Amino acid sequence: MMLNFFDQFMSPVLLGIPLIALALLLPWILFPNPAARWINNRLITLQGWSISQATHQLFTPLNQGGHKWATLLISLMIFLISLNLLGLLPYTFTPTTQLSLNMAFAVPLWLATVIVGLRNQPTIALGHLLPEGTPLPLIPVLIIIETISLFIRPLALGVRLTANLTAGHLLIQLIATAVFVLLPLMPTVAILTASVLFLLTLLEVAVAMIQAYVFILLLSLYLQENV
Amino acid sequence: MPQLNPAPWLSILVFSWFVFLFVIPPKVLNHSFMNEPAPQSAEKPKFNPWNWPWY
Repeated sequence: MMLNFFDQFMSPVLLGIPLIALALLLPWILFPNPAARWINNRLITLQGWSISQATHQLFTPLNQGGHKWATLLISLMIFLISLNLLGLLPYTFTPTTQLSLNMAFAVPLWLATVIVGLRNQPTIALGHLLPEGTPLPLIPVLIIIETISLFIRPLALGVRLTANLTAGHLLIQLIATAVFVLLPLMPTVAILTASVLFLLTLLEVAVAMIQAYVFILLLSLYLQENV
Repeated sequence: MPQLNPAPWLSILVFSWFVFLFVIPPKVLNHSFMNEPAPQSAEKPKFNPWNWPWY
């Protein structure tokens, strides 16, 4: 059997138990439930502070109707950021590399923004299909193009997250293998490659947080159009 | 690519939505935020007393 670098993304199963269940259930131990106190410990204070900052950032541009989505979108943000960051630890499984999970969130949430828009303000929602100031002969073509771009959104949302995380993990594994193989042969090159690996890991930490944020941001933008 | 194997897709969908709907929001909603402490000013703010009847 050839070494296949994609094997790290197989949904792991141990003794018949799908371990993705553990990967999805255990990270929330890191988020303790705040007690009914005025001042909590440092961890809870920090988490509460970042939650309130994120909520403020994301929902200030939205009008009142969009604020109903705050719980949902902030929960999704915590979900994605924790899963992404924990996946960077060695030997952990990242559920967000699974296309199934990302599409499972992208499609229903995008569809919900579209349905909310079409139900509450159908004219405005359909009006988004034609940008202002389009020259008359271009109108049919542009409506088709905008409709295609509308339907590609959930696909792009899901695949963007999957691809970014999968590519990152793959690169880390590739370069780590290179360092490991080079160490007995050419130690200097191995050390240089190890520094590349270090920088790459820092990049991946950033990517993990950014990609989760981008997911939420785009959903809030789609919401902004429709609410 | 093993992610494209459709076999676990439904169970992953169900399980991840279960966690997303029932595990995380209670934790997020339990965070409560205090008002900023305001310095006590020397003069009390002027106010109009209640002068209309209970309905």
